[in-house]
Amino acid sequence: MPKVIKKVLPHLVLIVYVFIILFPFVFVLLSSLKETNDQIVTAPFGLPKKLMFENFADAWSQAKISRYFFNSAYLSLSAAVAAILLSAMTAYAIARMRLKRMSKIIYQFILLGMLIPGNVLFIAQYILVQKMGILNTHWALFLPYTAGALPFSVLLIVAFMKAIPQEMEEAAIVDGLGVIGSFFRIILPLTVPALVTVFIINLLGNWNEYLLSNFFISKDNLRTLPTGMVGFRDAFQTSYPLVFTGIVISVLPILVIYAFLQKTIIEGLTAGGVKG
Amino acid sequence: MNKTLRNPYVYLLFVLPTIGLYGLFFIYPVIQSAYYGLTDWNALTTANFIGFGNFERAFQDDDFWISVKNNMFFILFSVFLQVPLIILFSLLISGVKRLQGFYKTTVFMPSILSTSIIGILWGFMYHPSIGFFNKFLSWFGIEPIYWLSDTKWALLSILITNAWQWMGFYIVLVLAAILAIPKEINEAAEIDGATGFQRAVRITTPLIMPVISIVVMLSIAGAMRVVDIVLVMTNGGPAGATEVMASYMVNKAMKYGEYGYGTALSIMIFAIALLLTAIYQIVFARRQERVEY
Repeated sequence: MPKVIKKVLPHLVLIVYVFIILFPFVFVLLSSLKETNDQIVTAPFGLPKKLMFENFADAWSQAKISRYFFNSAYLSLSAAVAAILLSAMTAYAIARMRLKRMSKIIYQFILLGMLIPGNVLFIAQYILVQKMGILNTHWALFLPYTAGALPFSVLLIVAFMKAIPQEMEEAAIVDGLGVIGSFFRIILPLTVPALVTVFIINLLGNWNEYLLSNFFISKDNLRTLPTGMVGFRDAFQTSYPLVFTGIVISVLPILVIYAFLQKTIIEGLTAGGVKG
Repeated sequence: MNKTLRNPYVYLLFVLPTIGLYGLFFIYPVIQSAYYGLTDWNALTTANFIGFGNFERAFQDDDFWISVKNNMFFILFSVFLQVPLIILFSLLISGVKRLQGFYKTTVFMPSILSTSIIGILWGFMYHPSIGFFNKFLSWFGIEPIYWLSDTKWALLSILITNAWQWMGFYIVLVLAAILAIPKEINEAAEIDGATGFQRAVRITTPLIMPVISIVVMLSIAGAMRVVDIVLVMTNGGPAGATEVMASYMVNKAMKYGEYGYGTALSIMIFAIALLLTAIYQIVFARRQERVEY
């Protein structure tokens, strides 16, 4: 084979693949800027005649996407922060404090949770949430999201904290720092890389979660983006540009974050993916 | 020093919230599931203990076994179609110098998006009148196909969407393994006259077998868990053609209020997942030689 072909062929194959990946996004973006269904039906891939940025304003206000967006944002953030805080504290107790036997038992106990695939507990969690009287409130998502993140987060943070040398902490404690001070001032700052990984995994997981959000919340005002958007699609079936606009709005923030943090996100998620 | 790090009050303060929340949302539901699964509890009546009645029913529930079969299609599709493609694309990406970062970032992108949004988006790609696929077919004069509402096409349509979303994730995993292989090995082979194709098949692929094994494991686990995309795109229809185990279980509980039977189904799902993992470990993973370099 001539050298040129050898060099170009892989790119050709890969460009086709990249095209397949990007294609749906282009379709959605073009459609979201069109004025009528008609324009989408007759020429799905034609450029919009007039750029309808009004669609975005309409979808944002009229269709409550702003509401869903806000719900998703604060739920995923708060649950991810809570999970990090809880698991970092527990990981510190397990990895750094000197109650070894107790720690071993607790560690094994928490890791049991990794064996249980999420869906399997769906019904029992639904009943639990119902009994607690928090069905149809954001607690019904916040608590399971936080709890669901714990086993994996503890696992990852423990591994990281164990690798921090003893001497730093010892010196600080000899100088009179208490155990809580040592946690916040010495160990936590050193654990930041692991915390970032865990945070990204949890944040994206919460932001994208569908099953619980769909069945634990039925009030429209409390919905998150993934479920709100499905309701939106079903309600506005006949107004394609608006639905497409909704899709663009819900995908855009993630893509913007991804553009800036791609390396961290890819590393974090692949490390997290191996957890299953 | 030792005393400070042995402070039991701080220890409890650090550990108890996690154990409480984890116990409430993991351990307690596990115990409850074991109990509910043995009752005929539904939305209308109180729970009566019926022993293994639910499991007997599940074994005879044809609709459930159709959903199990559909999960198997997910597994077959990902192991026999996606995995070879994943290896091919990772080899290709690892071989190029220019645009490598661009390819990696782009193919990974769909896996960070919400499955539900992707389901909506692809629902429009498959749309009978405005969808891309029918538009494409119409250029060749082929009649529109009702992708998601035709029993012949619905499952395949979902499988393709699922592959579109997740392949990039695995490609990045495999790519990382390929790039971690020491350059000397390939250079030595090149000096010995091995062509690029020979090196890919004889050297790189065997060396990344451990990662491929992980990818297969993850694909199986993912295929067992699949539910969001089905609920969003077809909700199991048409006529159960795309029903998967999890969607069947969820619908039994949420649509018909059959909590007892639904819970028994979720225990079955767990058991089937364990069984498959065990079979995979025994048949394939053990044969794997450890690669050291």
